[in-house]
Amino acid sequence: MIVPITFHIPDALREFTAGRGRVEIECSPTTLADALSALWTHYPGVRDRLVTEQGQVRQHINIFIGDENVRYTGGLASPISSGSKISIVPAVSGG
Amino acid sequence: MIGQVLGHYRIVAKIGEGGMGFVYRAYDEVLHRDVAVKVVNKDARLDASASQSLLHEARASSSLAHPNICTIHEVGETDGELYIVMELVEGKSLRAMTGDAGLPPESVLRYGVQIASALARAHDRGIVHRDLKTANIVITADGLVKVLDFGLAKQVGSGIFEGTTRSFTTLQDASNVSGTLPYMAPEILRGDTADYRSDLWALGVVLYEAASGRMPFEGRTGFEISSAIMREIPNLLGPPVPPGLWAIIQRCLTKEPLQRYQRAAEVQAALEAIQSGAIVSSDAGPDQSAPRTTVLHSVRHAHVKKGDFLLLVGTTKGAFILRSNAQRSRWDVGGPYFHGHNVYAMAYDDRGGQHRIWASTQNYWGTLLRSSDDFGKSWTNPQQAPIRFPSDTGVSLKNIWQITLGRPEEPNVLYCGVEPAALFETRDAGETWSLVRGLFDHPHRPRWMPGNGGLALHSVVLDPADKQRMYVAISAGGVYRTNDGGSNWSAQNRGIRAMFMPDKYPEFGQCVHKIAIHPGRPERLFLQNHWGLYRSDNCAESWTDIANGVPSDFGFTVLVHPRNPDCVYVVPVESDEFRCACDGRLRVYRTRNGGASWEPLVRGLPQKRAYETVLRDAMTADSFDPVGIYFGTRSGQLFGSRDEGRTWQKILDGLPSVVCVRNAVFEGASGLWPTSHKAASAPKSRSRFPSTRQSRPTNRSRPTKKR
Repeated sequence: MIVPITFHIPDALREFTAGRGRVEIECSPTTLADALSALWTHYPGVRDRLVTEQGQVRQHINIFIGDENVRYTGGLASPISSGSKISIVPAVSGG
Repeated sequence: MIGQVLGHYRIVAKIGEGGMGFVYRAYDEVLHRDVAVKVVNKDARLDASASQSLLHEARASSSLAHPNICTIHEVGETDGELYIVMELVEGKSLRAMTGDAGLPPESVLRYGVQIASALARAHDRGIVHRDLKTANIVITADGLVKVLDFGLAKQVGSGIFEGTTRSFTTLQDASNVSGTLPYMAPEILRGDTADYRSDLWALGVVLYEAASGRMPFEGRTGFEISSAIMREIPNLLGPPVPPGLWAIIQRCLTKEPLQRYQRAAEVQAALEAIQSGAIVSSDAGPDQSAPRTTVLHSVRHAHVKKGDFLLLVGTTKGAFILRSNAQRSRWDVGGPYFHGHNVYAMAYDDRGGQHRIWASTQNYWGTLLRSSDDFGKSWTNPQQAPIRFPSDTGVSLKNIWQITLGRPEEPNVLYCGVEPAALFETRDAGETWSLVRGLFDHPHRPRWMPGNGGLALHSVVLDPADKQRMYVAISAGGVYRTNDGGSNWSAQNRGIRAMFMPDKYPEFGQCVHKIAIHPGRPERLFLQNHWGLYRSDNCAESWTDIANGVPSDFGFTVLVHPRNPDCVYVVPVESDEFRCACDGRLRVYRTRNGGASWEPLVRGLPQKRAYETVLRDAMTADSFDPVGIYFGTRSGQLFGSRDEGRTWQKILDGLPSVVCVRNAVFEGASGLWPTSHKAASAPKSRSRFPSTRQSRPTNRSRPTKKR
């Protein structure tokens, strides 16, 4: 049985997820990149907000798997397990 | 009518009847195909102007090549009969298919996706349907949706619309509005103009009706229906309607347009997500376990009318649209738009009869080029960033610094100068953009160095006399020119200093801050450098230092008078290290002899502790006579002069840092190049620019050009 991946979507991106703050998608990703691909297959507007046209996560965007920032776990190659919870959070920055 | 020939269409049979007239099956005797011909009912009472509008709108709609849009082939008039020739669509209307019980959710989703896709295409082309309803949607035998009558409702249905809009409270009989009223958005009933969001409301009504067989807002009279639309919440749609579909319908049917979906493509994506079945559950609200924050996005719109004068102001925290009339003495402020985004570039495009505002937005979610056709009430928010570097470049877009309109005869052409330094071009009014490879592949590019603000291509200047010639300026790379439309580029920096290089006059690498061309004398350009003020009279072949009498030759902006090629404005700052007005005195400097001498323009500008900076695109000139000059500062002040800089008034303060100021006149003649326009009743003796007060525009003195 596939346990869906849960994405927590920040306010700024909810206009691209039909207003949803939490999205659960049935998929079997092995990496964060796979999971994100599943997310933007359904919500294509999210993609360019999270990554550059060269596929790099934007500088001031943090992605967490559970409570762990993926910057310290391998970035887009970070492993994902069934039922993972992925949070997208803008970094504290700006002036 | 049967057997008659309209144009080259032989009428074969009557196949329908609607608000605008009868619909016939006809045979096109030239192209040998079956078509549908809608003969506009003379009761529609189209006067010459309305007929012209209908023709114009139908021509625009005929460009909508989309599988879910019924194609309009032609609009014609013969013997006083106005007729519309369109694709013959054979099928059943969604109204007829729905019946009293509604359709299965799978069908609603299947049709809904196609309707939303049709709307998305039309909206991207600036066309609002205005009369979307289940009777206007046909389903063919193989399940293909065709949306009929795109763009026609504005003209042909105007009698119905305006009657309902202006006096809906007097309507006693719901049948008077023959199925149109129940689909009308609250803002239309309030008398506002229909825009994209009004179509999305109608889409919500269509989806509700298709899913349930009932209307979301019902009544026995027009008054009751209108009241329900304005005030009531539609009855819940429970099983078998999936919660996700109900959530989409609810969002479409939000009374306040800003709270609805803003684009049809979003509705399409949401419906497709439900349709795919992969989304097993979701919530529409905030995460209940998370701490709450309170956010107030307060946006005010300026209500722009024909003849109004506009200032477009880009700041480091969003954009503002200021509206006034030819007097330019009172200002109505719209915004902020794009809360918290850097808006480095704005432009107003009225070529081809449009009135589109372009803006670049940049924050941690990326950089986008966005546009508004309703003066800021709604903006595009494309799912995919339209300006993007190809994957083989390995480069990612950081910011858009400049939006430059193409030539008047090419209304679909625009250019964007971006960071990292590159030039992008569109030839289809912004739908697709391509990197100008001739410049990107220039052998100098690897040796360009970023300035303080980044490696930016910030100036894009077209030669108004030579269609193949264009200039760009890069900080820090210098000036480049193409003489062949962009294939080949040459560095044009002879005579420009680079104080930060061992060789003070290198071939390229100068930190040019801004260049400007004179429209009436296109071989003449002016240049504000990172140290240095220059003029070229030979298409940038060489540059002459003209810093004769300015307190500093460091600065950012350089603005050319729209008519006088010897008149130029700059705002010097003290130095590279201290980028503020010299001596804390905000002074605009003007030359009226091509730079041989300069005079300070200070009346009305702060002269004590005014450590201000005017950035490269934060100054603009209108085309009134006398010319109006406007500029914004890093401290968020906006100043204007209605007498070519002789006296200044503060228009507004308290803005975020101003990075871009542009001006426009709504419904001026189209064209890129400014010409002289006498403002007959313009500036009299009013000495102040009171800010944020509602103005009462007059058409007595309407300038007709933008800068």
